Amino acid sequence: MSIANETLKAMIRDYNGLELSDDELELVRPELESYFAELKKLEDLDLSAVFSARLTQFPD
Amino acid sequence: MSNVDLLRMTIAELAPKIQSKEISPVELTEASLAEAARLQPTLNSFITILHERATDQARASEAEISRGQYRGPLHGIPIGLKDNLETAGITTTVGSKVLADHVPEHDAEVVVRCRNAGAIFIGKENLEEFAAGATSNNPHYGAVHNPWGLDHIPGGSSGGGGANVAAGITFASLGTDLGGSVRLPGTFCGVVGLKQTYGRVSQRGLMVTSFNGDHIGPMTRSVADSAIMLQVLAGNDPLDPSTVPVPVPDYTAYLGKSLKGLKMGVPTNHYFDLLDSEVESAVRGSIAAMEELGAELIEVSLPLMHYIGAMRISAMADGVVTHEAMLREHREDYGPDVFYRTVPGQFVLGKDYSKSLRVQRMIQEEYAQVMQQVDFLITPTAPVPAPRIDAEYINVNGEEFRVRGAGSGMVSRNTSPLNAMGLPAISVPCGVTKGGLPIGVQFITGPFEEGLLFQVAANYEMVSPSQGLRPAVAVGV
Repeated sequence: MSIANETLKAMIRDYNGLELSDDELELVRPELESYFAELKKLEDLDLSAVFSARLTQFPD
Repeated sequence: MSNVDLLRMTIAELAPKIQSKEISPVELTEASLAEAARLQPTLNSFITILHERATDQARASEAEISRGQYRGPLHGIPIGLKDNLETAGITTTVGSKVLADHVPEHDAEVVVRCRNAGAIFIGKENLEEFAAGATSNNPHYGAVHNPWGLDHIPGGSSGGGGANVAAGITFASLGTDLGGSVRLPGTFCGVVGLKQTYGRVSQRGLMVTSFNGDHIGPMTRSVADSAIMLQVLAGNDPLDPSTVPVPVPDYTAYLGKSLKGLKMGVPTNHYFDLLDSEVESAVRGSIAAMEELGAELIEVSLPLMHYIGAMRISAMADGVVTHEAMLREHREDYGPDVFYRTVPGQFVLGKDYSKSLRVQRMIQEEYAQVMQQVDFLITPTAPVPAPRIDAEYINVNGEEFRVRGAGSGMVSRNTSPLNAMGLPAISVPCGVTKGGLPIGVQFITGPFEEGLLFQVAANYEMVSPSQGLRPAVAVGV
């Protein structure tokens, strides 16, 4: 997954974020790519039944 | 006693001699301060050295002890404080230009506890800018150098403390560990680094940090000294809601107990998946040594560790919120590594943050299950020995990884999971590479089982190939 610089700039503008130039957006790309990579991994993980008080059991 | 002899000792060795007035706190502090001054140009391990305050504290300690008012094993012992711990009347920079002139009005709770125990504060120690990284290569105060290899990082973010304990300047240093920042300087500098259970030690007065997973912990020359330090630091703080009112046991009582009957869990995934060959060899040797000492080896699987990287998502969001006000006011005062690693947090969506917390819960449950089967886990502390200060990337098994700044995090892949789990973990030296750089082994127990953790670590320490090794820059080597 990747997000265009224009989209990132729109997010900054609309959500009152910290301004970044195109060059600076390239410098934050490695961290953003890590974020997207971790999200991609989560696609195959079912989180729907995870609650803070779910009834887990002792191992056999 | 000569300075060389004094500076080689541990707290456990010094304490009875201070109590019996055989060793003077003033003499000990002067030796420590002289060593700090001698090695500062080489190691750059301090931001502020507290010559006058430390000498005054030492004189007061000596007077108290001479009156028979001995406070305990930290009384008269010179220690260091990471420069992100608030100290009343003493500049606390957090390694940043933004807070270069910040002088707190109050001491952090851990500073109060150490002061009340009679510790002498030698100085405020150098660190990564805002404690946000694993190198201690500070853009404003200069890089900290590893005493075992001056061209190498000491680890971070508490690198000044690790370097000082290893070089024989301080007898203990207080660091902070949000992803391995006590244990990484522990392994890279060949000292003992402890991150206790989340909630065991107050964080009140630890500056500019995340609310999720930071810990204040000691770096020491021995496991026994780590136990002495935790005894002073541990306990409920009514003003810090993260602390838990669990009774504090006598940690030193665990140090003589054997490993017989204990089950040692060796993870079959994640922790041994990506390792430098010399690190793997040293840690496999540690596992064999633990079996010889009586521990029963049990292989354990932690399949959900495949998703541990999701912790990065919540950390990114926490990071940018932590820094947001300062970034708006002082953007130009940030170094590039912290700036470009922090700012991307503004793009994290709330739903992804929530997913990250759910993954954290799932993995916590998995560890809870595993800890029903074994008494402790054993892993490498770091996947590699200390990288060079000038390294942008490190190569492991043919793959390149960033050491600092945006996209980094490989160095802390074995330590940061325990911050998210909240479990206690300790790094103990377990040998050196052919190039003379230290390697550390990490032990992990269930929550609030620090006594067992010290028991396990102390047994290993006695047979570790690192016993008696000191870096060449240390006095008398």
